[in-house]
Amino acid sequence: MTTNNFTMLAQNSDFDYIRQAYLAAMSIKATNQNSSTCLVTNDPVPTKYKQVFDHIVEIPWGDHAEKEDWKVSNRWKIYHAVPYTETAVIDTDMLVLDDLSLWFDFLKTYDLFYTTNVITYRGETVPNDSYYRKNFYKNKLPNIYNGFHYFKKCESTHEFNDWLEIITNNWQQFYKQIDNQLKHLPHPSMDITAAIASIIMDNTHLITNEKTKYPSFIHMKPRCQNWQDRFSYRWQDRLGVYVDDDLNLKIGNYKQSGVFHYTEKDFVTGKIIKKYEKYLGI
Amino acid sequence: MTKGVLLFANNNRSINYVKQAIFLAKRIRKYMDLPTSIVTSIKLTDEECSHFDKVFSHTLDEKKTTDKRHHDGDLYNKITRFYNYNRADAYDLTPYDQTIVMDTDFIISNDILNNCFVQQKDFLLYKDATHVGIHNGTSEFLRVSDTSVDFYWATVFFFRKTNETKIFFDLIKHISKNYMHYRSMYQFRTTVFRNDFAFSIAIHIMNGYQQGDFAGKLPGTKFYSIDKDVLFDIVDDEIKILVQKTNRLGEYTAVKLKGSNCHVMNKFSLERIIDNQ
Repeated sequence: MTTNNFTMLAQNSDFDYIRQAYLAAMSIKATNQNSSTCLVTNDPVPTKYKQVFDHIVEIPWGDHAEKEDWKVSNRWKIYHAVPYTETAVIDTDMLVLDDLSLWFDFLKTYDLFYTTNVITYRGETVPNDSYYRKNFYKNKLPNIYNGFHYFKKCESTHEFNDWLEIITNNWQQFYKQIDNQLKHLPHPSMDITAAIASIIMDNTHLITNEKTKYPSFIHMKPRCQNWQDRFSYRWQDRLGVYVDDDLNLKIGNYKQSGVFHYTEKDFVTGKIIKKYEKYLGI
Repeated sequence: MTKGVLLFANNNRSINYVKQAIFLAKRIRKYMDLPTSIVTSIKLTDEECSHFDKVFSHTLDEKKTTDKRHHDGDLYNKITRFYNYNRADAYDLTPYDQTIVMDTDFIISNDILNNCFVQQKDFLLYKDATHVGIHNGTSEFLRVSDTSVDFYWATVFFFRKTNETKIFFDLIKHISKNYMHYRSMYQFRTTVFRNDFAFSIAIHIMNGYQQGDFAGKLPGTKFYSIDKDVLFDIVDDEIKILVQKTNRLGEYTAVKLKGSNCHVMNKFSLERIIDNQ
């Protein structure tokens, strides 16, 4: 039986992203029996947390995001850091709620794959021209999400990753070629960076598939949710969060499945961490 | 397998639902060639009974009546008492193996719903509906509430008697008994019991609290006019409706439907048309 490899990159700032990654890794271990988890970080990892990471590796070549609040400048290094020949890469503010073996069977047919269809907590597809994707829609960028992607180490992925490095290190020059306003963003976006790399390599059709519903994730940014009331700042102000002892997650009236991208940091509470720890016997 | 239509009719001081049911039963016979049975709290005359295949007497629980404001066009409205809690009894009461249940204010003008009997799903209803005028996309009919579950119309539904549909109707009874609890769980404001809401919640639960396929879609399009619109005339399969103009009090646009079924929510205007037939 093959192993589902998951990788995350976490760097603490004024927020404890290692704890987020710990929760994400626990969710993987709870649902994917044949899984391996890798944390890429330069921060200390508490002994208890280490139980759910099969590999903890350093960010190579120093910390390029040392002075950044939004630490994206190291993300291109994941490709070089991981001990795997193939892996899914997820954001730390995600929970894996199901066995994703079928997704991995599908992903293995690609060298590199980015999610393009993300869904709401009600299971509806988030439209391409949603509030958070206006820059993509306006500039006809491939609508890809870095939050859940997969790569196999190979020549073409290596080349793609080289472009990620170059664009990340010179993001304002690249972004302004797409749209002059993009250079005024407060920080680079890995979604835009990956989209530009795919345009340069002309490989969008090879790295995503807009016709497939999965792999995907539930995107909890509030303005993605197809709500009539668009003034809610936090989704947790409008929806209840319910986790039972078997780790079934309900958001509002809906049971969640697949990969859940909660986006709001205070979603992680001691209560939810304890639920997972109890389930896993940690 | 036997098949037919079941109607529920409980008159109040202002609206004669039995009269509507007789009108509908005639059209069901004409356009769908199906028998119709009725569940009613009213003692029917022999002539009234003759329009129905079977008549089921039902005793109203006065505690479960609800006051609701009914409009008759833009300029008139009246609060009437109505009883709509017994819809889930359809499973137990129907004399048919395959049943279509309809509101009495549904106007049948074709036989498209007969396709229910030749498809495989055991429960069908409409999730989407089209207003006859300009109110398409009314958010009120998209969800039970903004953050909650999809809205389904209980105006017309088809079911076969199976273990699964029995669970569904039992669930609706449970929801109706605990309606205030489900009101807070599903975040809607109205305290008036609505079958549409109870059905929507029950479908969501039957789907395992996710998107699912417990409920199939009824064939054809469900057209509707709201109670601020006015039914103007019905001649055979042609329905004429005055559609209220948005933000123009008392002004209407005339619309004609031909060969289409239509849910006419203005019951006062429906009764006027029936009286003039």
